[in-house]
Amino acid sequence: MKQRTVEILAPVGSFESLQAAFNAGADSVYFGVEQLNMRSRSANAFAVTDMKRIVAACRKHQCKAYLTLNTVMYEHDMQLLRSILKEAKKQGVDAVIAADFSVIEYCRQLQIPLHISTQANISNIESVQFFSRFADVVVLARELTLKQVANIIGEIKRKKIKGPSGELVKVELFVHGALCMAVSGKCYISLHQQNASANRGACVQNCRRSYIVKDTESGEELKIDNEYIMSPKDLCTIDILDQVISTGVSVLKIEGRPKGPEYVQTVTRCYREAADAVALGNFTQEKAAAWKAEMEKVYNRGFWEGYYLGRKTGEWVTQPGSAATEKKIYIGKGSRYYPRKKVGEFLVESGTLQVGDTLLVTGPACGMVKEQVEKLYVNGEEAEKAVKGDKITFLFATRVTPNDKLYKVVNAVHA
Amino acid sequence: MPKIIHYRSKCIGCGVCYEQQPECWRMSKKDGKATLLRSVNKKGVFMIEITGAAMLKSSDVAKACPVNIIKIV
Repeated sequence: MKQRTVEILAPVGSFESLQAAFNAGADSVYFGVEQLNMRSRSANAFAVTDMKRIVAACRKHQCKAYLTLNTVMYEHDMQLLRSILKEAKKQGVDAVIAADFSVIEYCRQLQIPLHISTQANISNIESVQFFSRFADVVVLARELTLKQVANIIGEIKRKKIKGPSGELVKVELFVHGALCMAVSGKCYISLHQQNASANRGACVQNCRRSYIVKDTESGEELKIDNEYIMSPKDLCTIDILDQVISTGVSVLKIEGRPKGPEYVQTVTRCYREAADAVALGNFTQEKAAAWKAEMEKVYNRGFWEGYYLGRKTGEWVTQPGSAATEKKIYIGKGSRYYPRKKVGEFLVESGTLQVGDTLLVTGPACGMVKEQVEKLYVNGEEAEKAVKGDKITFLFATRVTPNDKLYKVVNAVHA
Repeated sequence: MPKIIHYRSKCIGCGVCYEQQPECWRMSKKDGKATLLRSVNKKGVFMIEITGAAMLKSSDVAKACPVNIIKIV
């Protein structure tokens, strides 16, 4: 495995995102299989049988693979849980991320390394001590301040709290991605309103909608500046990453398994570069601003630094959906590649493409590649513009496969 | 005759259909998903004809499914 001071843990919800995480230099990735994970509704779940391919790809890229099994577990889930864990053991998954005691117990029986999920809301040293009997890594609650995090890590060292491996328990923190209005996932709005439990990964994100506040006695509606009163902006700690790392945290976790490969690659790369800059002592606010601008291009709800600096109230979104400054428009799919000439061939299935456009290609083999078209050939002839039905070729350094999707990147306009 | 249609592969195994209508549903111990009893499997989509009397309850179950994979037609 790569020797780095702090581990960057990337979210993976597809083979495209897996490759994107490798491209960006992730030290580890986490993924879910079947329905027993917190993104069972939104991510295209991997099957149990995909684990072999995922772990093999991770080994090739010297990256650790963590399996997330962090929903509430019911009695009828036990057999599936066992079969998933047996397969995880067989394939050599590096660790399982869990909060339910059934998973903790099965992992102990099967001797699979365990990480305690943020769903367990670990917020004090006693909890760390309790879980150290089972787990080598604990993900702390996202609502702690950095001072509290540093205290917990200091106490782990002082009390020499060791996990089953005999090493000191490591601390993992969320550094980027969606936040929940409730304490790390302890939310029942989706369950109450639409019977869709967030704790089974089925959250319908009612909190992300706009609401009005009404006085039921008078029937009057209260005027509030922002209607999105329950939808927090996304966590982004790139500005304060030096402070985050100085707490002694071992793993920096990025949220976003349902998000696309362009999100995974961009965000992971920014945190990789930022963490490396902190290690080399050349982390600056100018660099942080540049990374932040880069991350604003992909899916986000606006950024704030969460509760890490001791903020008492959150920052809330002002619009529905993403505030990304760029969006991708589907153009077509890959058809073949001419490796000697380094030319990629794509079939245009929708929209138009012009010389000078920025292209985004995603696929399980390439992850995400973003390039500008300098010369475009349509059906073998040099051209300025391609339309639906055209077969286009252009210089492309990465191998193109029929599983690749071609997008055009445009500036997003927000009302 | 009305039918219950179950797009089983997308089931997240929350168990609400079984809780509300145990005469039609079971939770599979094998894969943790709901199974529509006595249904016909057509390429992973499960179907069963129901009587008019069972319609009301089945519609409630369809509404309760958090991932909307139960349809009554």
